[in-house]
Amino acid sequence: MSVRRRHTLRALSAATAVVALAAGCSSANSGANKGGGAGASGVLTLGKPDGPQTNNSNPFLATSASATLGYRFMIYEPLAMTNQIRPTDKADPWLATAWDWESNFTKVTFTLDKRAKWADGKPLTAADVAFTFELLKKHPALNGNGIPYDGIAVEGEKVVLTFKESQFVNQNKIITTYVVPKHIWEKVENPETWPNRTPVGSGPYKLKTFTPQTTTLTATPDYWKGETKVKELRYSAYNDNSAATTALANGKLEWSFVFMPNYKQLYIAKDPKNHKLWFPSGLGIHGLWFNTARKPFDNPALRKAMAMVIDRKAIHVQAQATLYPEISNPTGIPLPAGEPFLAPEYKSATTAPDVDGAKALLKDAGFQLSGGVLKDPGGKPVELTFTDPAGWNDYITGLSIIKDNIKQLGIEAKVKTQTAEAWGNDVATGNFDATLHWTNSGATPYDMYQNIMDGAILQPIGKSAQLGNFGRFKSPEATAALKEYANATDDPTRTKAMNTLQKIMVEQAPVVPTAAAPIGAEYSTKNWVGWPTEKDPYAAPQHTQPDALEVVLNLEPAK
Amino acid sequence: MKYILQRLAFYAVTAWAAITINFLIPRLMPGDPVEALMSRYQGQLDTTAIASLKALFGLDEHQSLWSQYTDYWSHLIDGDLGLSFTFFPTPVGEVISQSLPWTLALVGITTLISFLLGTGIGVYSGWRRGSWLDGLLPVTTFISAIPYFWLGLIAIALFAVKWQIFPAAGGYDNSLVPAFDWPFISSALYHGVLPGVTIVLSAIAGWILGMRNMMVTVSSEDYVMVAQAKGLSERRVMFSYAARNAVLPNISGFALSLGFIVGGTLLVEMVFSYPGIGYQLFQAVGAKDYPLMQGVFLIITLSVLAANLLADMAYALLDPRTRKEA
Repeated sequence: MSVRRRHTLRALSAATAVVALAAGCSSANSGANKGGGAGASGVLTLGKPDGPQTNNSNPFLATSASATLGYRFMIYEPLAMTNQIRPTDKADPWLATAWDWESNFTKVTFTLDKRAKWADGKPLTAADVAFTFELLKKHPALNGNGIPYDGIAVEGEKVVLTFKESQFVNQNKIITTYVVPKHIWEKVENPETWPNRTPVGSGPYKLKTFTPQTTTLTATPDYWKGETKVKELRYSAYNDNSAATTALANGKLEWSFVFMPNYKQLYIAKDPKNHKLWFPSGLGIHGLWFNTARKPFDNPALRKAMAMVIDRKAIHVQAQATLYPEISNPTGIPLPAGEPFLAPEYKSATTAPDVDGAKALLKDAGFQLSGGVLKDPGGKPVELTFTDPAGWNDYITGLSIIKDNIKQLGIEAKVKTQTAEAWGNDVATGNFDATLHWTNSGATPYDMYQNIMDGAILQPIGKSAQLGNFGRFKSPEATAALKEYANATDDPTRTKAMNTLQKIMVEQAPVVPTAAAPIGAEYSTKNWVGWPTEKDPYAAPQHTQPDALEVVLNLEPAK
Repeated sequence: MKYILQRLAFYAVTAWAAITINFLIPRLMPGDPVEALMSRYQGQLDTTAIASLKALFGLDEHQSLWSQYTDYWSHLIDGDLGLSFTFFPTPVGEVISQSLPWTLALVGITTLISFLLGTGIGVYSGWRRGSWLDGLLPVTTFISAIPYFWLGLIAIALFAVKWQIFPAAGGYDNSLVPAFDWPFISSALYHGVLPGVTIVLSAIAGWILGMRNMMVTVSSEDYVMVAQAKGLSERRVMFSYAARNAVLPNISGFALSLGFIVGGTLLVEMVFSYPGIGYQLFQAVGAKDYPLMQGVFLIITLSVLAANLLADMAYALLDPRTRKEA
């Protein structure tokens, strides 16, 4: 026994030593204050379920901890700050005081703010901005937005970009490019695989410590825009939703973005005065994509009839737990974000179910309802199989609501679940009847419509269509309107193209919009106030969005 | 000696087969890393990013399966496990080395504790049948029958939310940096209590039951009766005669369980947000991160094989029948 006990002790101490050794032997915690959210000491705790991270602050890589946790936006700053949830508002000047588009969005001139400087004290100049654009142009792997950069020139203290084609639809992506310091990045041999472990940016925060579990950022005292109230940002990665929800409920986590079905009970009720939740949307949607290359879904009347009976309210309440904003307009444009784009004929349109109207439409198109079964003009009963990944409960609940809705038209539907991988593969190769899936989003509804119906990215069934148009929607009219919208030289032409796209969306229903894609967040007003709200929507509330910087700068200690 | 050589040759072949399967299985699964990343972001990452991601991961160049396989071996021999896709461009070796110590410490210590505690209780309850210790059996079996994630969630609900005695998540306090100093080590131990206790609770029943049953069988053996007839102390008979023989199956069970320590306990790491290798593997599978998956599988395979070898050797030493030529 005694021998064995000695072994146990040895094993125990060895194991402890392993942990400590792996962690590196420095005494870094002498002055650390324990505990989570502590507004009094100027700390803001934020994070979401991302799992342990690795030390990587390369802002251009979607796989880096700085992108996953979102702290890249606290270190690097954009030329201009757009509002994701009010994309039509004019952007706020940031590193650039002005950006002037000329010659139909093929040329832009940036005038830089002279006060801007890097955290190491060096001034931020036009050379840095031009270098950043050169970097993106030279390395397609870093150019996540796929912007076709052409001419990049420094003219005095201004930077001029020229393009071969109109960049109207990409304008927000270009002006929100975050700038990296030339004097550091020019020495990097391979920026695509550079982990950038001591990031130097122009933003108000710098990296203090990195651990797989928590990344701590501390305020730069001499930030060029003035001192910040939040002195320390503590980003924690939780392993799953329930861990993050627990931390939110007990106040350890103050700012997060977790989907929780019964948020009222799990979060709000724990501290009704301070625990707040707001899920606004940008211009992206979730919708039911039809495979328009399969019979009988190639018939627009059938698709439109289904769109007319789907109960968005039920999907909003039961499937999305009222977290995803409801789609109230048949064009699929989320409101109020996309209000200015609505065509006059759809301004007052609603998505209220209209079963009789749908039945009449089907009858006119040659469909027959006999004995509760809808038959297509060829006499075959209309059946379809909905597919989505198992475990994606909001989607699966949505599908079963849709299934009940279309039963009123005599359409028999089945809901089939798949693994996420098999589903992704089937959607890309066109091996499905109908599926709930998301769309792209951007500064205008163009991104969403282009993703749904652009003939230029159409692939035959069986070939992977990763860029979009998963439903194989073939409409020369839509393709032409998309092209016209992107390249138009004046606003009336653009409006006309946008109205055409909306008409196609409503009349031919390649996708039935079911919910707006939220850019939501949970936040606590216990220690910090000044968050964006429904009444004051100055920025998207999510901490992984570019405008998170605006939110942090707007925060003040609660009384 | 011949026996040992035979076993070694057998393990070499097994290792080769396992490594080859490690290479093949990830590639037979549907989907690719870029697609997995896109569906993780659910529309927040634009489809225009696909081209840049493919270029980044080097997936835009086509390579035959055979040349991938030979590359894989040549890199493996150099000790290079490649770059992880999920955490691009972090090397797989680094991802593993930052999570493995946590798993080794937590699961290693708890496996040891539950083995020692379970075997100890098994010895007593097998020797003193009918005492109050027998009442422990149904209780521990009941606890081990509870699905682990549920046990973990109940523990969190009671001890981290209702009475806030222990932390609910993480391996150490969020304000600390891993270092060899008292604040960090105490915090790590404190954070390990809930996961540790729940693992021990759910694993101990097996050891108790196995040990008790063997004790019952052994205690009716003649040599135990002889020892008692010699007038040896109760304690001596119990430990040196009965338990010593009864513990054999538990020892080999323990050697095998050592191999699974490395595999980690995914559920523990999920429920308690504990930094460990099981969760890393789970993420890698979800993200189609071939290099990371292969790296973790390799470590697991090798440690299971090593543990098996250990068990084989221990048996050969303890039981002469296994090394006799047939």
